[in-house]
Amino acid sequence: MTAKTGDILVQADGVCKYFKVSGGRVLHAVENVSLTIRRGETLGLVGESGCGKSTLGRTLMGIYAPTKGKLTFDGREMDLHNKKERFNFSKKAQIVFQDPYASLDPRMTVASIIEEGMVIHNMYDDARRRERVLELLETVGLNREHANRFPHEFSGGQRQRIGIARALAIEPEFIVCDEPISALDVSIQAQIINLLHNLQNDLGLTYLFIAHDLNIVKYISDRIAVMYLGSVVELASSAELYDHTLHPYSKALLSAVPIPDPEMEAAKHRQIISGDVPSPINKPKGCAFSSRCPLACDKCRESAPKLQEIRPGHFAACHLVEPEKDDV
Amino acid sequence: MSERILEIKDLRVSFDTYAGEVQAVRGVSLHVDKGEVLAIVGESGCGKSVTAQTVMKLNPMPPARIVSGEIRLGEHDIVAATDKEMQAIRGREVSMIFQDPMTCMNPTMQVGKQIVEAIKLHRKLSPEEAKAEAIRCLKQVNIPNPEERAKQYPHEFSGGMRQRAMIAMALSCDPKLLIADEPTTALDVTIQAQIMDLLAELKDQISTAIILITHDLGVVAGSADRVAVMYAGKVVETGSTQDIFYRNAHPYTQALLKSLPSPDATKREPLVSIPGTPPDLLSPPKGCGFAARCKHCMKICQEEYPPEFTLGEGHTASCWLLHPDCPGAAERGEKNDG
Repeated sequence: MTAKTGDILVQADGVCKYFKVSGGRVLHAVENVSLTIRRGETLGLVGESGCGKSTLGRTLMGIYAPTKGKLTFDGREMDLHNKKERFNFSKKAQIVFQDPYASLDPRMTVASIIEEGMVIHNMYDDARRRERVLELLETVGLNREHANRFPHEFSGGQRQRIGIARALAIEPEFIVCDEPISALDVSIQAQIINLLHNLQNDLGLTYLFIAHDLNIVKYISDRIAVMYLGSVVELASSAELYDHTLHPYSKALLSAVPIPDPEMEAAKHRQIISGDVPSPINKPKGCAFSSRCPLACDKCRESAPKLQEIRPGHFAACHLVEPEKDDV
Repeated sequence: MSERILEIKDLRVSFDTYAGEVQAVRGVSLHVDKGEVLAIVGESGCGKSVTAQTVMKLNPMPPARIVSGEIRLGEHDIVAATDKEMQAIRGREVSMIFQDPMTCMNPTMQVGKQIVEAIKLHRKLSPEEAKAEAIRCLKQVNIPNPEERAKQYPHEFSGGMRQRAMIAMALSCDPKLLIADEPTTALDVTIQAQIMDLLAELKDQISTAIILITHDLGVVAGSADRVAVMYAGKVVETGSTQDIFYRNAHPYTQALLKSLPSPDATKREPLVSIPGTPPDLLSPPKGCGFAARCKHCMKICQEEYPPEFTLGEGHTASCWLLHPDCPGAAERGEKNDG
């Protein structure tokens, strides 16, 4: 493998994921998404509920096979319809789920939850596996004594640590964090964010961090992708996205986030978008956001804009923003 | 001084479970004046919802039990009120909107009918008048086509619309006090902004007092007049929104605010986290509930609960660090002034 391809760990080219729903209709959960995730970086993925961010996350780590499009991992194209390839892929990509109560089997001990992945992938012998379970518990800030307990004996934050230990057990390169902190209290959220951050530094992990709390996403991410109704509408580095927001949806989303500071909150100009997200079964023609966009024109209602590079490294899909041509 | 709507004095509420007595609320005193928004913030299990539900006596008793304390709502004494009196108070004097509007509405009943039901219970109106009133309520919360929408069922509404319908129902009898228990937690930020704006607008129109229960300090900053911070069944600090955000004195309030990433920073410095978890209220600690997680913890903190210290007009905090005999108290006082 050359260093050039090694730079990009996950690459999606025109990935689509559709689900069949009752009445022969098709739900377009993820529509034509192309993005790359570099090794060792954190890509934040934000959007409202139902915008397809979790589906995209699960597609990128192989839980779902894409309906259309190409997924490349570590320079190799993945055929996720092939069972064996999917199995091998699961050794490299893992997920931490949102709900630490629903995602741990209540009848398994913590040790067997963490060990399960290693057993399935035939890693190590029994003694070494036991040892690794205990090491992992310490890595995520729990005690060795916790190994033989059951999930109900733990608080939400501790359960999320168990979920992280399970994901780390098979030494993956890529972890999808699907809203790992939204079920936790504020004081516990910071603990988990710091843990994820330290693990990334120590183990060189690559994260796809899905969340709807934009303050947290801004804090943890190197780059952020904003999704709306199945498509990525804007993609830029964290600071760039906040300082030079281009897409009207991103602007509305960022201005809707309440700032925990009364003076800043009073001073900020809030741009409220009316209405709700349209159904992903009957999407509006043209730009998906045109039905709620304050700036929508006829062109927006006719044809869907493509994601294009507006400024260096800053992509947006909107007819109203043009690439800066005379940029020096 | 403006009219006092609600006054809670030293309220204690316990739940009798088979594991023992859970002291969910351990001596809470609060008040709400006409037309103001009081935010109660705290982590899950700190007793904020139980306090609010006790105002409406929505907790099933048993297992819940008001151990001691006083709740005065206007001229009503809630603690002594009978079930029948409570039925007249609920909806008319005080009403509540909940976190999840899907589970709080009857799924088999048209939305309009549910509002009519509330109106008929408290106001003497003919069926036609009640129906017209229900549609007016839906219009008031900016639901488009209220006539059509009134005939639909809750599942035909989106999350934001359902929350609007809940607000319409809660305000249909002009209550003096509206309790909003995490009204936007289940909603997306863009919808949350819509709902918070609607609440602010309605507050000005009909001058109801609002108790806003939330764990989102951003929502508090944007909408509350006063804030009460709760921890382990007690109010640890209370004051105006400015006091709580800029002149806070309790280590828990400070840690809570610091654990949020600051809005203008992307620098990769670790977030300040609060180690440990809140105490188990089956056997609450003898001293300050926050002592085990507090970095300023002293010997006395573990032994005795601190009294309330007044820091300014309406700004109080319960922490031994504020005691005049505490080393360094003077410095901290100066810092707070500046």
